[in-house]
Amino acid sequence: MITTEEALTIATEFAENWLWTTETARPEQNRLDITLTTPDDLIPIVVGLRVKRLGYLSAISGLDLGAEVDEFELLYHFCIAAAVITLRLRIPRKNGSVQSLCEIIPSAEAFEREISEMFGVTVIGLRNPEHLYLPDDWAEDQYPLRKDFDPAVIRSST
Amino acid sequence: MEEQQEVEQFMVPIGPQHPALKEPGHFLITVDGEIVTNAVVRLGYAHRGIEKATEERNWVRNLYLLERICGICSHIHATAYCLGLERLAEVEAPPRAQAIRVLVAELERIHSHMLWLGVAAHEAGFDSLFMYSWRDRETVMDLLENLTGNRVNYSANVLGGVKCDIDIVQADTIFMALEFLQERTRHYLDVVTSDAMFLQRTRGIGVMTRLQAEVLGVVGPTARASGVHRDIRAEAPYSAYPSYPVRVVCEEKGDLEARFVVRINELFESYRIIRLILEDLPPGELREKMPRRIREGETVSRVEAPRGELFYFIKSNGTDKPERIKVRTPTICNMMSVVKLAIGHQLADVPMILAGIDPCFSCNDRMIILERSHAKQEVWSWERLRQHGIEYYHGNHS
Amino acid sequence: MEIIRDLIALLFFPSGLVLLVLSLFYEWVDRKLLAQFQNRIGPRWFQPFADVIKLLAKEEVIPQGVDRRLFIPLPIVGLAGVLTAAIYVPIMGMAPSHSFKGDLIVTVYLLSLLTLCMGLAGSNTIGRFSLVGATRTLTQLFSYEAPFLLALLGPAIVAGSWQISEITAYTENRWLLLTQPFGFLVALIGLMGKLELPPFDAPEAETEIVAGALTGYSGRGLALFHLGKGVEMLIGLTLIAAFYLGGVSNPLLFFVKTLALLLIMAGLQALLARLRIDQTVGVWWRYGALLVLVQWMVIIVSKGPVL
Repeated sequence: MITTEEALTIATEFAENWLWTTETARPEQNRLDITLTTPDDLIPIVVGLRVKRLGYLSAISGLDLGAEVDEFELLYHFCIAAAVITLRLRIPRKNGSVQSLCEIIPSAEAFEREISEMFGVTVIGLRNPEHLYLPDDWAEDQYPLRKDFDPAVIRSST
Repeated sequence: MEEQQEVEQFMVPIGPQHPALKEPGHFLITVDGEIVTNAVVRLGYAHRGIEKATEERNWVRNLYLLERICGICSHIHATAYCLGLERLAEVEAPPRAQAIRVLVAELERIHSHMLWLGVAAHEAGFDSLFMYSWRDRETVMDLLENLTGNRVNYSANVLGGVKCDIDIVQADTIFMALEFLQERTRHYLDVVTSDAMFLQRTRGIGVMTRLQAEVLGVVGPTARASGVHRDIRAEAPYSAYPSYPVRVVCEEKGDLEARFVVRINELFESYRIIRLILEDLPPGELREKMPRRIREGETVSRVEAPRGELFYFIKSNGTDKPERIKVRTPTICNMMSVVKLAIGHQLADVPMILAGIDPCFSCNDRMIILERSHAKQEVWSWERLRQHGIEYYHGNHS
Repeated sequence: MEIIRDLIALLFFPSGLVLLVLSLFYEWVDRKLLAQFQNRIGPRWFQPFADVIKLLAKEEVIPQGVDRRLFIPLPIVGLAGVLTAAIYVPIMGMAPSHSFKGDLIVTVYLLSLLTLCMGLAGSNTIGRFSLVGATRTLTQLFSYEAPFLLALLGPAIVAGSWQISEITAYTENRWLLLTQPFGFLVALIGLMGKLELPPFDAPEAETEIVAGALTGYSGRGLALFHLGKGVEMLIGLTLIAAFYLGGVSNPLLFFVKTLALLLIMAGLQALLARLRIDQTVGVWWRYGALLVLVQWMVIIVSKGPVL
């Protein structure tokens, strides 16, 4: 069993040495944030984490950073022991898209479908892009977890 | 050719309303005779938009909203939220409060596992076990009512501590109840490992190897039944668990029987921890003062719910309302395994395999039952109902 | 006079009204015993009556895609079959009102008619649950039917007759349970299979296929099938008690012996978990058929070359 400290050290080294487009931060004692500057890094980093057996994908959180920044931030949380390694990826609000992790981590499917229907982020390579939570007749281009989601629009459209 | 195959497929819909499901979910099972050839899951029948709703409420109100994500594991949701928030606010709940949190969490685990035992036995058509385990579960429900005043949704947590204390009389009641439960649990362990007819339905059914469990990303007792040592209480002890270390209960076989054995053995572990806590309850205050506004920042809070790892991501923007709360419940991790495991099994095994992960759809969908506060009766269309839900949670209501 | 006597036999006793009331009473005993075994309180004595009256009063929904000409008569035919079977059987210890050579076979056939009607009723609809349920009902029929029939024929062979009244005359005060224990076992468990009681309730496993073959039925049709099941149970219990437990020559013996059998059946229901349909078939052909054949061998060998 790998300890929390070891896992964080290995992950930090991995992120800092192997790819030069990332920034690491330690917001809390048991957390490591790896900020990706380009979406292309996502797959290689995830593969790297898997190869080094650094945790399992615990969740994908989506954040709407608001109209001023005009970006979404996706947080891929990998957990091992007490350590939480978070990959932070920013994508544009308009036509934002991200590669699916399903090929590497099958359990990502549910999380990615949730992100795609709640934020309107296109997930490339999702085998079943249908709604998982929202009703089938949910209005298109309405994404409930966006900050500018207005329930009144749903009323007028249905 | 492909089109023809489509026509010949015989699909059995299980849900949204189906006797096997105590909550709404939809499984479309394609069968060839009695053998399952494909399974598709569709969720969201109980989606209440709670994550969105939290953004409209202040930190205190959110505690009570999040506690209502699930009726069975309500306390653990509130605990995850409180622990995360206390870390953000740099407030530490007093040790006595932490111990009581863990105590209630373990009592909740007992009630949840007993409930599951009954449901799973019912799915297997073993109603006697169902009736007996639910009768014994009442003991725990009574204990929880005695402690907190409620049978479900205990509201034991407040931000910065707990609201209820334990006195000697209550502790004695718990000790006595544990004696009874321990004896009953031993009996159940005996039944599920020796009843030949029941074993025919559980032994070697729905086998998930350790590798599969890791790849499918299952959590909680489902993972532990496949030999994956994954228990947040032991891996990343939170609240009072560092003082009361948990032994991880594991089984190697990964079939339904192993899932029964793991959950029942976890009951013994819970009894042990509760006894430890009661024997050695730290004295002191019950709560620490929490600020109304939480400083800017974000945190991750992981706890072990009865069904597995519960994950909270909390982001504060410095106001009295959260910027974002992300809840990842254990069921969603386990749900995908059902779809994969069901293929190749008999149709009769599907409810058992589904029950084997102890699904909790409401946790999954994060919604709340519409309260019928207006006495006026009218028939609502689905759209109208949904609209009401959206408005209700979007703050128009407040 | 003959006609009046027949009408009374058909409409009042032993078939008809008295039988229906009696079967509902037995259903209550079964439910109450099972509830007690499971640490529940169980229904009050009039609950089965209330259930049937309520169902009879309710609207009968005829689902889309069924053949009405089959959907409506099937429950009637099923119930009529088991009610007819009752006139050949010593209900309440009375001698059967009708009797002829080979009526045992007719009785067993009439009991199976109900199961066949249920299977047909299920396959007549387009509902998924009904179809799967119908398949299971018929599969189960083919698995228990042969061993069950052979088990009932065991006493017939030693009695040297296939007429129920002659067999009962022979078994009077002869406890064949002692000489043919396997036959008794198979007959009793076969009856449980016939009635789709746990552990043989896969055809109506509610957690998988809702109500099985009868999912599409409501109101009157469901009530009639329900009554038919009750009558089938009563006749089955009577036959087994008469053949294996030393006869039911008077009402007191009848009630004591059939209720004792019901107690065993309720106990088994509480004790056992449901078998999958493939396991049910396996149990019957692997153990049931084998046991009853062994029993036959013993009977034939001990009876000598007369047969």
